[in-house]
Amino acid sequence: MHTYIEAIRKAARRLLTEKRVDAVIGFRKGTIPFMNEPVLVKHPDQVDQLTWDSHCGINLANYLGQRPGKVAVVAKGCDSRNIVVHLLENQIQRDQIYILGAPCKGMLDRRRLTAECRGREPHSVEEFDGRIRIKGRDLELDLERRAFLQDNCAICIHRNPVIHDELVGEPVAEQTGVDRYEDVRRVEQMTSEERWQYFDDLIAPCLRCYACRNVCPVCYCPTCFVDESKPQWVGKSVDPTDTRTFHLLRAYHVAGRCTDCGSCERACPVGIKVRQFTKKLERDILDLYGYEAGLIADQRPPLDTYRPGDPEGFIK
Amino acid sequence: MSDWEPKIVTFLCNWCSYGGADLAGVSRLQYPSNIRIIRVPCTGRVNPKFILAALRNGADGVWVSGCHPGDCHYIEGNYYARRKFTLLKNFLEHTGIEPGRLHFSWISSAEASKFAATAREVAAAVTALGPARHFIKTEAEVA
Amino acid sequence: MKEAYLAKDKLLPLVGLLMARYRVAAPVAVGDYHQFQILTQPEQLDLTYRNTRLSPKDLFHPQSEKLFRFSTAADDPDANILKEVERDQGPRLVFGIRPCDARALRLVDVNFDTADCQDPWWVERRRNTLLVGLGCTAPCATCFCSAVGSGPFDPGGLDLVLTELADGYAVAAASERGEALLADLDLLSALDQDRAAAAAEVQKTAAGTVARPFDPTPLGDKAMTELFQSPFWEEVAFSCINCGTCTFLCPTCWCFDIQDEVQKDAGVRLRNWDSCMFPLFTLHGSGHNPRQQKPQRVRQRFMHKFKYYIDKYGDGPACVGCGRCVQFCPVNIDIRQVVALMTARCVCPA
Repeated sequence: MHTYIEAIRKAARRLLTEKRVDAVIGFRKGTIPFMNEPVLVKHPDQVDQLTWDSHCGINLANYLGQRPGKVAVVAKGCDSRNIVVHLLENQIQRDQIYILGAPCKGMLDRRRLTAECRGREPHSVEEFDGRIRIKGRDLELDLERRAFLQDNCAICIHRNPVIHDELVGEPVAEQTGVDRYEDVRRVEQMTSEERWQYFDDLIAPCLRCYACRNVCPVCYCPTCFVDESKPQWVGKSVDPTDTRTFHLLRAYHVAGRCTDCGSCERACPVGIKVRQFTKKLERDILDLYGYEAGLIADQRPPLDTYRPGDPEGFIK
Repeated sequence: MSDWEPKIVTFLCNWCSYGGADLAGVSRLQYPSNIRIIRVPCTGRVNPKFILAALRNGADGVWVSGCHPGDCHYIEGNYYARRKFTLLKNFLEHTGIEPGRLHFSWISSAEASKFAATAREVAAAVTALGPARHFIKTEAEVA
Repeated sequence: MKEAYLAKDKLLPLVGLLMARYRVAAPVAVGDYHQFQILTQPEQLDLTYRNTRLSPKDLFHPQSEKLFRFSTAADDPDANILKEVERDQGPRLVFGIRPCDARALRLVDVNFDTADCQDPWWVERRRNTLLVGLGCTAPCATCFCSAVGSGPFDPGGLDLVLTELADGYAVAAASERGEALLADLDLLSALDQDRAAAAAEVQKTAAGTVARPFDPTPLGDKAMTELFQSPFWEEVAFSCINCGTCTFLCPTCWCFDIQDEVQKDAGVRLRNWDSCMFPLFTLHGSGHNPRQQKPQRVRQRFMHKFKYYIDKYGDGPACVGCGRCVQFCPVNIDIRQVVALMTARCVCPA
């Protein structure tokens, strides 16, 4: 990871000095353990702020949409796929962005790490050789990195950027034999009543803060459906039916565009596993239309196209 | 409960299915009056928001019907709709809406008897499930 | 009576006793965090928390609340008349509130309970609710209560303050209501000198642990326009995603939206939490939005809490240093860093 940091800073310094970009979007070191903050660096002498580690889970493609001028961005596999989606959807032009591809072995799940501390406060976290060492007051833990990956990272099959202008690290081996849809199948075993209850329980803590929506790179509508008032499709309160409507429709709106970057689950202040909604749509789109979001730059998204022979077994 | 009749919000495309419904009426074919028709220009116009809104407002079932693929008045509206409905139906049923509440069909303006038969089929399926229990927005369930 | 001692084995019985007289809200384990909930059993109480995920402000200012009900039916003689929704305004007690959160309620009082205008829902709930606080023996690294005029055992805002000792709690009254309550509770014993000394030691140690990441004095001194026009807001705002996390978790944020929801011929008037982070917050009916850009909204939040409130009320910032926004901002915007920028005496060249 240290080599990544050097490579990112070196590239940023070069790109800014040569004025090939107006700014570089990356991460700077967080002020608390397990977190980093997205940062926009505009001057070559500020590039030493840029860092990289296993707490860079936020999808930086979120900061690209409708951005004027030229910008460089550090992009993991999932982030790079969202850049492809942005290009397909004309949210930015290819010649505006310089992609610093970061092959990724997965980001760490801060909630699980915090839970592992069992109420004791972590003060620092270090990583080396596949282990994580957490220290704090009355706290010293040595954990296996692979056991604490974000849920989406554990099943990731696109760890290497699919589009880049340069790589800041060596490509990593892709995971094979990964079961991406175990949780979808688990729900499919349930009865309708059980499913209803499962999702009710899942979103019960929802605060309607919209962190999941706002951190998502593909949620960029100038007026989100929750803010539409003529007619009003969903109420603003934490009424359970309204909350469910929000999650259902948001998942549906990102169908075929979501790259499972996990930022939504990471952002949620109450730890809701909102990917339980998007995974089903992702699986269906793969099975029915053979499509994965953000892999091919000139393939129309699945809901923007059709084939005359599309499945229609359920249609009378 | 025994005198409960389902309300089935039905979106019919203007050019085909609505015509088929009209022909059914003119031909005096009997079909259940649970079908509450909303005419849309094309099934491609039907936004998932509409289906959710129907359910939120207490619809026991939702039925969407349009032109056969290849016959769409707007050439390809129903092709897009087909993908939308496939995903939406799977998704809503995955999250706990009972299978049998959402129905989709292709009915042309000449297929009056298909319209009546499908209407009977949809009404029977929804009746068998009973009144919609979930996802109805009434007074906000808050403090 | 001003002080007493509660042995740990008397804690749940005391909670049971209180539950017979009040609706008791206390921290309850929910998933991997804690929330204040009205207890149905004393055993639900879980004091193994640093602080609850959401502040207890929603006990006084619920996230969504039905204020009035009305009918629009043509044949209803009461049509279009707003009728207040009945609610239980009986006595309540919050057990285990942290001093920062209790102080926050005082800060919000300034908004909802003024000489000119009282929010009847807020005022009634504040009047009916006793606050039994649990001071922080081990403040978090993200806490900064001492920097904003509070502290881990700050009694301001509380009726009783508990200090955890080895096998019990020192209980101190912090208000007249607290004294009256102490006098009226069985299961407590006298606080002996040793324990009193131990409690004082715990409090002193805790106060020494709380970080002071900034000195707030310059906030009052600096001109508002100087802060408003500072160039660092663009940089601060970059990572912000304009969600409502900071505002919803914050114990001193009070903004709300009122909306009527009507189904057929009946409706309710709802009050919902709103957030200055949301673009729609300042959207005028004309379509103009004075805070359309993200940096304007981000600036607003910090200026409101750390400048406008200070200028207007002369009572310190509208922040109690609970650290929730620091811990849960999805992109790690750190209010301590932002305030340090605001209080900086020199501005480094960009």
